[in-house]
Amino acid sequence: MRLAKLLVPALVTAAMVALTAPAHADPDADFANKLHGYGIYGPLDYNAWLGKITCERVHNGIDTTADKSARFAFVNLPRGTTTGQSYQFLAAAIGTYCPDQVPLLTEAAERQ
Amino acid sequence: MKRPRRSRARSVLRAGIAALTATVATTALPATAMADATNDYPIPRRMIVTTCNAEQILAAARDFTPIYYQRYMIDKHNKSTQVQQAAIDSAHYFYSLNPADRRAYSEQMVTNFADPVAAAWPNWAKIFFNNKGVTAKETDHCAEYPPDDLSVWDWSPAR
Repeated sequence: MRLAKLLVPALVTAAMVALTAPAHADPDADFANKLHGYGIYGPLDYNAWLGKITCERVHNGIDTTADKSARFAFVNLPRGTTTGQSYQFLAAAIGTYCPDQVPLLTEAAERQ
Repeated sequence: MKRPRRSRARSVLRAGIAALTATVATTALPATAMADATNDYPIPRRMIVTTCNAEQILAAARDFTPIYYQRYMIDKHNKSTQVQQAAIDSAHYFYSLNPADRRAYSEQMVTNFADPVAAAWPNWAKIFFNNKGVTAKETDHCAEYPPDDLSVWDWSPAR
Protein backbone atom coordinates (compact mmCIF):
# COMPACT_ATOMS: atom_id res chain seq x y z
CA MET A 1 0.00 0.00 0.00
CA ARG A 2 2.90 2.37 0.73
CA LEU A 3 4.12 2.41 -2.86
CA ALA A 4 0.66 3.30 -3.99
CA LYS A 5 0.80 6.49 -1.94
CA LEU A 6 2.95 7.90 -4.70
CA LEU A 7 -0.14 7.74 -6.84
CA VAL A 8 -2.32 9.72 -4.48
CA PRO A 9 -1.56 13.25 -5.75
CA ALA A 10 -2.34 12.12 -9.28
CA LEU A 11 -5.55 10.57 -8.04
CA VAL A 12 -6.60 13.75 -6.30
CA THR A 13 -6.22 15.48 -9.64
CA ALA A 14 -8.14 12.70 -11.35
CA ALA A 15 -10.99 13.03 -8.86
CA MET A 16 -11.03 16.81 -9.35
CA VAL A 17 -11.14 16.38 -13.11
CA ALA A 18 -14.03 13.97 -12.70
CA LEU A 19 -15.83 16.57 -10.65
CA THR A 20 -15.53 19.23 -13.33
CA ALA A 21 -16.56 16.89 -16.12
CA PRO A 22 -20.05 17.51 -17.51
CA ALA A 23 -22.76 15.60 -15.69
CA HIS A 24 -23.88 12.45 -17.45
CA ALA A 25 -27.33 10.93 -17.30
CA ASP A 26 -25.92 7.68 -15.99
CA PRO A 27 -23.23 8.05 -13.34
CA ASP A 28 -22.77 4.28 -13.19
CA ALA A 29 -21.80 4.22 -16.87
CA ASP A 30 -19.42 7.13 -16.29
CA PHE A 31 -17.90 5.27 -13.39
CA ALA A 32 -17.48 2.11 -15.49
CA ASN A 33 -15.80 4.12 -18.24
CA LYS A 34 -13.34 5.60 -15.76
CA LEU A 35 -12.57 2.15 -14.41
CA HIS A 36 -11.96 0.82 -17.90
CA GLY A 37 -9.42 3.58 -18.34
CA TYR A 38 -7.61 2.16 -15.32
CA GLY A 39 -7.81 -1.40 -16.61
CA ILE A 40 -10.47 -2.35 -14.05
CA TYR A 41 -13.23 -4.40 -15.60
CA GLY A 42 -16.05 -6.54 -14.29
CA PRO A 43 -19.82 -6.29 -14.06
CA LEU A 44 -21.06 -2.71 -14.27
CA ASP A 45 -23.60 -3.19 -11.49
CA TYR A 46 -21.13 -4.83 -9.15
CA ASN A 47 -18.52 -2.12 -9.59
CA ALA A 48 -21.10 0.65 -9.25
CA TRP A 49 -22.46 -0.84 -6.07
CA LEU A 50 -18.96 -1.33 -4.70
CA GLY A 51 -18.17 2.30 -5.50
CA LYS A 52 -21.27 3.50 -3.67
CA ILE A 53 -20.52 1.29 -0.69
CA THR A 54 -16.98 2.67 -0.66
CA CYS A 55 -18.52 6.11 -0.20
CA GLU A 56 -20.96 4.93 2.46
CA ARG A 57 -18.16 3.41 4.46
CA VAL A 58 -16.41 6.77 4.50
CA HIS A 59 -19.67 8.52 5.44
CA ASN A 60 -20.35 5.98 8.18
CA GLY A 61 -16.86 6.27 9.62
CA ILE A 62 -15.83 2.68 8.84
CA ASP A 63 -12.95 3.78 6.60
CA THR A 64 -11.33 6.87 8.05
CA THR A 65 -8.37 7.11 5.68
CA ALA A 66 -7.72 6.70 1.97
CA ASP A 67 -5.52 3.71 2.78
CA LYS A 68 -8.36 1.91 4.55
CA SER A 69 -10.74 2.70 1.71
CA ALA A 70 -8.31 1.49 -0.91
CA ARG A 71 -7.75 -1.66 1.11
CA PHE A 72 -11.51 -2.28 1.11
CA ALA A 73 -11.60 -1.85 -2.67
CA PHE A 74 -8.54 -4.06 -3.08
CA VAL A 75 -10.05 -7.07 -1.28
CA ASN A 76 -13.33 -6.78 -3.14
CA LEU A 77 -12.09 -6.20 -6.67
CA PRO A 78 -11.18 -9.22 -8.80
CA ARG A 79 -8.05 -11.18 -7.94
CA GLY A 80 -5.11 -9.71 -9.78
CA THR A 81 -6.10 -6.13 -9.12
CA THR A 82 -3.05 -4.08 -8.17
CA THR A 83 -2.73 -1.77 -5.18
CA GLY A 84 -2.48 1.15 -7.59
CA GLN A 85 -5.72 0.16 -9.24
CA SER A 86 -7.47 0.01 -5.88
CA TYR A 87 -6.46 3.65 -5.26
CA GLN A 88 -7.65 4.52 -8.76
CA PHE A 89 -10.95 2.83 -7.98
CA LEU A 90 -11.22 4.88 -4.80
CA ALA A 91 -10.53 8.15 -6.64
CA ALA A 92 -13.09 7.30 -9.30
CA ALA A 93 -15.69 6.33 -6.67
CA ILE A 94 -15.20 9.57 -4.75
CA GLY A 95 -15.22 11.65 -7.94
CA THR A 96 -18.44 9.99 -9.10
CA TYR A 97 -20.49 9.20 -6.01
CA CYS A 98 -19.26 11.30 -3.09
CA PRO A 99 -17.35 14.38 -4.21
CA ASP A 100 -17.72 15.79 -0.69
CA GLN A 101 -15.12 13.19 0.33
CA VAL A 102 -12.30 14.53 -1.86
CA PRO A 103 -10.60 15.76 1.37
CA LEU A 104 -9.93 12.09 2.18
CA LEU A 105 -7.65 12.01 -0.87
CA THR A 106 -6.09 15.42 -0.29
CA GLU A 107 -5.29 14.47 3.33
CA ALA A 108 -3.54 11.35 2.07
CA ALA A 109 -1.56 13.43 -0.41
CA GLU A 110 -0.55 15.92 2.30
CA ARG A 111 0.67 13.18 4.63
CA GLN A 112 3.40 12.19 2.16
CA MET B 1 -44.91 -81.94 -8.87
CA LYS B 2 -45.62 -78.78 -10.78
CA ARG B 3 -47.23 -75.82 -8.88
CA PRO B 4 -50.42 -74.54 -10.44
CA ARG B 5 -49.87 -71.45 -12.53
CA ARG B 6 -52.41 -69.41 -10.47
CA SER B 7 -50.61 -70.08 -7.20
CA ARG B 8 -47.28 -69.01 -8.71
CA ALA B 9 -48.78 -65.78 -9.95
CA ARG B 10 -50.18 -65.12 -6.48
CA SER B 11 -46.80 -65.55 -4.79
CA VAL B 12 -45.14 -63.26 -7.32
CA LEU B 13 -47.81 -60.67 -6.62
CA ARG B 14 -47.34 -61.07 -2.86
CA ALA B 15 -43.58 -60.58 -3.19
CA GLY B 16 -44.17 -57.51 -5.32
CA ILE B 17 -46.50 -55.98 -2.77
CA ALA B 18 -44.02 -56.71 0.03
CA ALA B 19 -41.20 -55.04 -1.90
CA LEU B 20 -43.33 -52.02 -2.66
CA THR B 21 -44.44 -51.68 0.96
CA ALA B 22 -40.84 -51.87 2.16
CA THR B 23 -39.80 -49.17 -0.29
CA VAL B 24 -42.61 -46.85 0.75
CA ALA B 25 -41.90 -47.45 4.43
CA THR B 26 -38.17 -46.76 4.18
CA THR B 27 -38.85 -43.59 2.19
CA ALA B 28 -41.38 -42.25 4.67
CA LEU B 29 -39.71 -43.29 7.92
CA PRO B 30 -36.80 -40.84 8.32
CA ALA B 31 -38.86 -37.97 9.65
CA THR B 32 -35.82 -35.93 10.70
CA ALA B 33 -33.67 -34.28 8.03
CA MET B 34 -30.10 -35.44 7.84
CA ALA B 35 -27.01 -33.46 7.03
CA ASP B 36 -25.58 -34.50 3.68
CA ALA B 37 -22.22 -36.20 3.28
CA THR B 38 -20.38 -32.89 3.04
CA ASN B 39 -21.95 -31.60 6.25
CA ASP B 40 -22.64 -28.40 4.36
CA TYR B 41 -26.41 -28.70 4.22
CA PRO B 42 -28.60 -27.09 5.39
CA ILE B 43 -26.02 -25.00 7.25
CA PRO B 44 -22.43 -24.97 5.96
CA ARG B 45 -19.97 -26.87 8.14
CA ARG B 46 -17.83 -23.77 8.65
CA MET B 47 -20.75 -22.03 10.34
CA ILE B 48 -21.33 -25.06 12.53
CA VAL B 49 -17.78 -25.09 13.88
CA THR B 50 -16.89 -21.40 13.94
CA THR B 51 -16.07 -19.83 17.28
CA CYS B 52 -17.17 -16.39 16.07
CA ASN B 53 -20.45 -14.86 17.12
CA ALA B 54 -23.07 -13.14 14.95
CA GLU B 55 -21.51 -9.67 15.27
CA GLN B 56 -18.10 -10.92 14.15
CA ILE B 57 -19.65 -12.75 11.21
CA LEU B 58 -21.53 -9.62 10.15
CA ALA B 59 -18.45 -7.42 10.48
CA ALA B 60 -16.55 -9.78 8.18
CA ALA B 61 -19.48 -9.78 5.74
CA ARG B 62 -19.50 -5.97 5.75
CA ASP B 63 -15.85 -5.87 4.70
CA PHE B 64 -15.45 -8.97 2.53
CA THR B 65 -18.86 -9.58 0.93
CA PRO B 66 -20.12 -5.99 1.02
CA ILE B 67 -22.86 -6.28 -1.59
CA TYR B 68 -24.32 -9.39 -0.01
CA TYR B 69 -24.18 -7.60 3.35
CA GLN B 70 -25.87 -4.51 1.99
CA ARG B 71 -28.66 -6.50 0.36
CA TYR B 72 -29.26 -8.24 3.68
CA MET B 73 -29.35 -4.92 5.51
CA ILE B 74 -31.82 -3.44 3.02
CA ASP B 75 -33.99 -6.53 3.43
CA LYS B 76 -33.70 -6.28 7.23
CA HIS B 77 -34.65 -2.61 7.33
CA ASN B 78 -37.78 -3.40 5.34
CA LYS B 79 -39.04 -5.53 8.25
CA SER B 80 -40.74 -4.33 11.41
CA THR B 81 -38.52 -3.61 14.39
CA GLN B 82 -40.03 -6.61 16.20
CA VAL B 83 -39.11 -8.96 13.34
CA GLN B 84 -35.63 -7.45 13.12
CA GLN B 85 -35.11 -7.99 16.84
CA ALA B 86 -36.41 -11.54 16.59
CA ALA B 87 -33.86 -12.24 13.84
CA ILE B 88 -31.06 -10.78 15.96
CA ASP B 89 -32.16 -12.91 18.91
CA SER B 90 -32.30 -16.03 16.72
CA ALA B 91 -28.77 -15.38 15.47
CA HIS B 92 -27.51 -14.85 19.02
CA TYR B 93 -29.19 -18.09 20.07
CA PHE B 94 -27.63 -20.04 17.19
CA TYR B 95 -24.08 -18.89 17.91
CA SER B 96 -24.54 -19.58 21.63
CA LEU B 97 -24.92 -23.30 20.81
CA ASN B 98 -22.13 -25.86 20.56
CA PRO B 99 -21.50 -27.51 17.16
CA ALA B 100 -23.63 -30.59 17.89
CA ASP B 101 -26.57 -28.45 18.96
CA ARG B 102 -26.10 -26.19 15.93
CA ARG B 103 -26.33 -29.20 13.62
CA ALA B 104 -29.45 -30.37 15.46
CA TYR B 105 -30.85 -26.84 15.15
CA SER B 106 -30.12 -26.81 11.43
CA GLU B 107 -31.98 -30.06 10.91
CA GLN B 108 -34.91 -28.81 12.91
CA MET B 109 -34.79 -25.48 11.05
CA VAL B 110 -35.47 -26.97 7.62
CA THR B 111 -38.41 -29.05 8.80
CA ASN B 112 -40.11 -26.58 11.14
CA PHE B 113 -42.26 -24.37 8.95
CA ALA B 114 -44.04 -22.95 11.97
CA ASP B 115 -41.01 -20.99 13.21
CA PRO B 116 -42.44 -17.47 13.65
CA VAL B 117 -39.17 -15.70 12.69
CA ALA B 118 -38.86 -17.69 9.47
CA ALA B 119 -42.55 -17.13 8.75
CA ALA B 120 -42.19 -13.36 9.17
CA TRP B 121 -38.84 -13.14 7.37
CA PRO B 122 -37.90 -16.28 5.42
CA ASN B 123 -34.43 -14.92 4.64
CA TRP B 124 -33.54 -13.80 8.16
CA ALA B 125 -30.49 -16.08 8.24
CA LYS B 126 -29.45 -15.68 4.62
CA ILE B 127 -26.20 -13.90 5.37
CA PHE B 128 -25.19 -16.60 7.83
CA PHE B 129 -26.19 -19.86 6.20
CA ASN B 130 -27.28 -19.63 2.58
CA ASN B 131 -24.14 -19.24 0.52
CA LYS B 132 -21.03 -21.33 0.98
CA GLY B 133 -18.78 -18.77 -0.69
CA VAL B 134 -20.05 -16.01 1.57
CA THR B 135 -19.75 -18.29 4.58
CA ALA B 136 -16.15 -19.07 3.66
CA LYS B 137 -15.19 -15.39 3.50
CA GLU B 138 -17.03 -14.63 6.72
CA THR B 139 -15.44 -17.45 8.68
CA ASP B 140 -11.98 -16.73 7.23
CA HIS B 141 -12.00 -13.23 8.68
CA CYS B 142 -14.52 -13.06 11.52
CA ALA B 143 -11.94 -13.64 14.26
CA GLU B 144 -10.33 -10.30 13.36
CA TYR B 145 -13.35 -8.40 14.67
CA PRO B 146 -14.63 -7.54 18.15
CA PRO B 147 -17.45 -9.75 19.44
CA ASP B 148 -19.50 -6.94 20.95
CA ASP B 149 -19.99 -4.40 18.15
CA LEU B 150 -23.77 -4.28 17.78
CA SER B 151 -23.52 -1.49 15.20
CA VAL B 152 -22.99 -4.12 12.50
CA TRP B 153 -26.71 -4.85 12.67
CA ASP B 154 -27.54 -1.29 11.84
CA TRP B 155 -25.75 -0.42 8.63
CA SER B 156 -27.58 2.36 6.84
CA PRO B 157 -28.17 1.51 3.18
CA ALA B 158 -27.36 3.81 0.26
CA ARG B 159 -28.37 7.43 0.57
